[in-house]
Amino acid sequence: MGRNRAIKVFDPRITGKPLDLFTAADTRLPVIVELLQSPWIVRASEMAAATSGLAGKQRERDIEVVWDGRPAAPRSFTLDGRRHPVDAIVQSWAVERSWWDPRRRLSRRCFRVLARGGLYDLAYDRAADRWLLIGIVD
Amino acid sequence: MSGFVHLHVHSHFSFMDGVASPDTLLAQAAACGMDALALTDHQGLYGAIRFYRAALAAGVKPIVGAEIVIEAAGTEGDEGDLPPRMRLARSAPVGFGRAAGAGFHLTLLARDLRGYRNLCRLLARTHVRTGDEPSIVTLADLERCSEGLIGLSGCPCGETGAAVLAGLGTRGERVLRRLARCFAPGAFYVELMHLLTPDSPRYVAGLVALAKRCGLPVVATNNVHYAKRHDFRLHDVLASAGARTTLPGPYDRPNAELWLKSASEMRRLFADAPQACDATLEIAERCTLDLGLGSFHFPAADVPVGETAYSVLSKDAWRGLEQRYRPITPEAVRRLQYELSVIQDLGFPEYFLTVKDIVDFAKSRSIRCSGRGSAGDSIVTYVLGITDADPIAHDLLFERFLNPERRQMPDIDVDFDSRRRDEVIAYIYDRFGHEHVAMVATVNTMTARSAVRTAARALGHGIDEVNSFSRYLPWVSSRRLPEVLATYPECRDHPLLRPEHALLVELASELDHTPMHLGTHLGGFIITREPIETWMPLQWAAKGVVVSQYDKDDIEALGLVKMDILGLRMHSAISDTVALARSRVGEDAVPEPFCLPHDDPRVYETIAAADTVGMFQLESSGQRNLALRLKERDFEDIIAAISLFRPGPLEAEMITPFIRRRHGLEPVTVPHPAMGEILRSSYGVIVYQEQVLQVAKAVAGFTLAEADSLRRAMTKGRSREAMEEVHAHFTERAVALGVKRSVADEVFRQLEGFAAYGFCKAHAACFAVVSYASAWLKTYYPAEFSASILNNEPMGFYSPRLVLDDVRRHGIAVLPPHINASSAEFTVEQDGGAVRVGLGSLHHMTSRLSEVMAAERAVRPFSDLADFLKRTRAEEPAARSLIRVGALDGLGVTDADRPPTRDEMLALLPELKAVIARQGVAGDDTLLIAPARARGPVDTGHVSGWTPAMRLSSELECLGLAITAHPLSLARADLERRGVTWARDLPACEDRARIRVCGVRERAQTPRTRSGKRTCFLTMEDPTGLIDVVVFEDALNRYGDVIVKNRAYLVEGVLQNNCERGIALIADRIEPYVVRDEGRQQVRLRRGVGIGPLGPTLGGAGAPEEDTEDVAS
Repeated sequence: MGRNRAIKVFDPRITGKPLDLFTAADTRLPVIVELLQSPWIVRASEMAAATSGLAGKQRERDIEVVWDGRPAAPRSFTLDGRRHPVDAIVQSWAVERSWWDPRRRLSRRCFRVLARGGLYDLAYDRAADRWLLIGIVD
Repeated sequence: MSGFVHLHVHSHFSFMDGVASPDTLLAQAAACGMDALALTDHQGLYGAIRFYRAALAAGVKPIVGAEIVIEAAGTEGDEGDLPPRMRLARSAPVGFGRAAGAGFHLTLLARDLRGYRNLCRLLARTHVRTGDEPSIVTLADLERCSEGLIGLSGCPCGETGAAVLAGLGTRGERVLRRLARCFAPGAFYVELMHLLTPDSPRYVAGLVALAKRCGLPVVATNNVHYAKRHDFRLHDVLASAGARTTLPGPYDRPNAELWLKSASEMRRLFADAPQACDATLEIAERCTLDLGLGSFHFPAADVPVGETAYSVLSKDAWRGLEQRYRPITPEAVRRLQYELSVIQDLGFPEYFLTVKDIVDFAKSRSIRCSGRGSAGDSIVTYVLGITDADPIAHDLLFERFLNPERRQMPDIDVDFDSRRRDEVIAYIYDRFGHEHVAMVATVNTMTARSAVRTAARALGHGIDEVNSFSRYLPWVSSRRLPEVLATYPECRDHPLLRPEHALLVELASELDHTPMHLGTHLGGFIITREPIETWMPLQWAAKGVVVSQYDKDDIEALGLVKMDILGLRMHSAISDTVALARSRVGEDAVPEPFCLPHDDPRVYETIAAADTVGMFQLESSGQRNLALRLKERDFEDIIAAISLFRPGPLEAEMITPFIRRRHGLEPVTVPHPAMGEILRSSYGVIVYQEQVLQVAKAVAGFTLAEADSLRRAMTKGRSREAMEEVHAHFTERAVALGVKRSVADEVFRQLEGFAAYGFCKAHAACFAVVSYASAWLKTYYPAEFSASILNNEPMGFYSPRLVLDDVRRHGIAVLPPHINASSAEFTVEQDGGAVRVGLGSLHHMTSRLSEVMAAERAVRPFSDLADFLKRTRAEEPAARSLIRVGALDGLGVTDADRPPTRDEMLALLPELKAVIARQGVAGDDTLLIAPARARGPVDTGHVSGWTPAMRLSSELECLGLAITAHPLSLARADLERRGVTWARDLPACEDRARIRVCGVRERAQTPRTRSGKRTCFLTMEDPTGLIDVVVFEDALNRYGDVIVKNRAYLVEGVLQNNCERGIALIADRIEPYVVRDEGRQQVRLRRGVGIGPLGPTLGGAGAPEEDTEDVAS
């Protein structure tokens, strides 16, 4: 069936739970990832780019991340004392801006990850050598 | 499948949109284990040939291509006609100069030679056809020239990519289908780039979906603009400066991912589309371009039916031999036979005929020309009339020019009268056809100054700040910028030393040798048999000629004929001198200077007295100093002088032993008796490259061809091991001939020491012919010679001001410019006793005004300013300049019953212009000189009303000449009070005497020295002559900034005055000197732009020195 197969085969009509589309994480994850990666869908939060490359609900704070060297991506992160295992890497991108101005310089490697509670944008700040939570979307 | 090949790669030949050199890219590709690499610079193949050669040398398969700008394929008509939501944004223009274009990008790769030729043709047609329009490839042309090409749909600036990013999938599909039709089936790919931006996944997925829908294959690229990630800053800087904007530049790149990534990184990025990475390998496999380097391609020579190029050349040569050698000698016959047979064996007769054809044309039109370089080593070029130095008389060796062992393209450079060079060029185009001729390009790269300016502009500094950054920086490589700023005295207190500019300095030093412009070679032309666009892309140069995108090395590598049609202003000056002299003394009284026997003692006396200002190759301060030590006596001495004062011999310090041995201060010793005869003319010193060949032949029994190969081997910075091999070979051959091993070793040591520094004697001999002609003319017709030199400026070593001062020192009167006497050019009056200053180089002077003045003056002289303005309609700035230099002095009468002063004329000028504008040409008697509101005469003793200082400043500012007097002659009393020794008195001073001199700076040079220390050779001038000052490093460290920032100095030091070293002052103290006349009025020494009506103005070109405190007083 080609692309978006998980979306196409998903049956939302489950008796007794009309508003809860997903009954379990294993059915939810592929559908969300496909939606997020679909080339035809533009998220409202992405309509305007800010300095990080994305807009949306912006929160920037230090965060502790466990790095997985093999896929070269975060494995989990700790937010408000709770550890969030990363269910999927939705997207990654790099930011390198204003390098000529030490006060405004931005040099980051960013990961949009799907984890418990929604979609998180994590960024590794190359200049400061630290991890940041730069956005919680949805 | 693993592995990856980058197929979309920009080098720094993308001009301000690429950072890495082809070599750097290849090194990075090789380090990543890639066995192929493409080069796809914007709109051209500028770096393709050097990339191709370097890739082959590095064992990497080269794929040659280009990223072109193409018209829209997905819409009919103009983009602007579409509804706004359907329009695609076009990127900033890319490409260099008139080959730049803004539009959609498309990547093309040459699959084979046919594809390469089609790519050249496509680029040439596009760039040459469009002229001043942006250079954009049409779909029709692409269709026509796509055979042998592989197309990739382009970066996000391509139409497909832009459509996907804009959410216009339908248009993207339409574009792909249209472009695919332009190429052979299977030769068009959809190009995927995952540049790690937030849009990248959607961009890639969208293109994959479109490709699937159109049934096209996909291929992954990374739009490489720099080899390593950390170079992204330079890319941003270049792109910003190239687009004349500040950082972040026209593309506002969100990150730094355009580097040459490894195969594993590329495959990780395209984990969802591995077939895109596989396609790179498949394309690399399909690209099998072989440019066939190493073969030669000559233009078609004009050969009659039944003849061959060789037979024609041979007949011409034998005819020439009869004319050049009377009587013909057996040696000349033997030599000509030998050379003709070598030329035939190497397959070069057509090349010689081509050069002869052009030279014959020039001579038929009396256009003065002369061959130069190693071509002078050949008797064939001599008898064909291409060169003028007899190779037999001067021991010139053919093998230095054409080595039968090495089949290399011969290179014959010919200098033509620069004023008539265009006639020769026009002939070349007519003779060979416009489709077969183009000019050679040069690639201008960044030095410290340009790199600083580029980085500063990108960082947003204002133009004044940028100027202050680049001012006083020496012409050095930008890589040395931090060292230069830290150590050079002229950079003391330089603004770039401030900590806030550390980033600028860092960036500038990394921009070292980055190409900035594609220039046009001074005289290099490519002539081809096939249409030239099948060999290389062409484009319009800024100067309005069609230029190749390749430089001379690329042309040579392709095996094409390059002719250097160089303009030599000395030829123009010699022709002018002869014409002026003949008009004065009679047509037959002045012989052709190139045909004179080289035996006139008066000429050698002039040279030996260092009275050489204006003489070709003999006038520099170093040459004048050498002349005083060498005391030239014959033509061989001129050849020696030209050869000795060259970077190589200077670096090897050949002059000192040469002079010492010549004057008997040390014995002439050679390790082998055979060398005694060979090196007799140079006193046992190996000065000429030809001597290296002769010594190797005499001592080790080499043939001359082998000896030339030995010389080349010694010249090319070989490794110690390679040199040992050469040494062993030489010694073995010498010992086999009975030479002692120790002698052979010593001979080799001398050859090794001098081979790399020796000068080509043939080149010096060709130049010496011109030098002698100029010396003869200066000796016998000094006024005509000086006037001709001044009429052909800029030329030579000295400024026009100094040449005019030299005229005055020879007792020839310098007549001021006048509207009733001067023409545009300098003229000779009073039967050779005076030179009248011309008006051609006056500030704001126009050719129209010159012509009108001449025509009106032929009717009747101008009577006053009003008459002049009315009859010539002179523009106000030009009229102002004429008044200020005294060209209207003495004309007209005021109410005070005297001619108006310059101040009065300047004040009256706007009023007169307004009256004339109102009245048109009617009413001759309506204009009267009325007293103007201006200050009265400052100096009542002169008709101009100006003091000598005011007049002189004005002359220097408006003409760049000192007509009234030498500037320092106004300060004579002050200088004598300070105990200054004049230049003319220096020869009488004792060696090692401590003296003080004063002079106006003419030249300041800091050439490379063997020790690596900086030494400044300062040429100054006082009213009596030239003064050579040597500033060694310790003094330079103290006074370097004084030298750079001022024009006149008081210099104290120890005089060196002996036959071994000549006359020069070794400076140990330098102070700036502000020139003032006896009335303490300052003389401004810098040429500038005049402003204001009241006399010489301050400000001008922004020179700070005259406004500084008079520290020396």
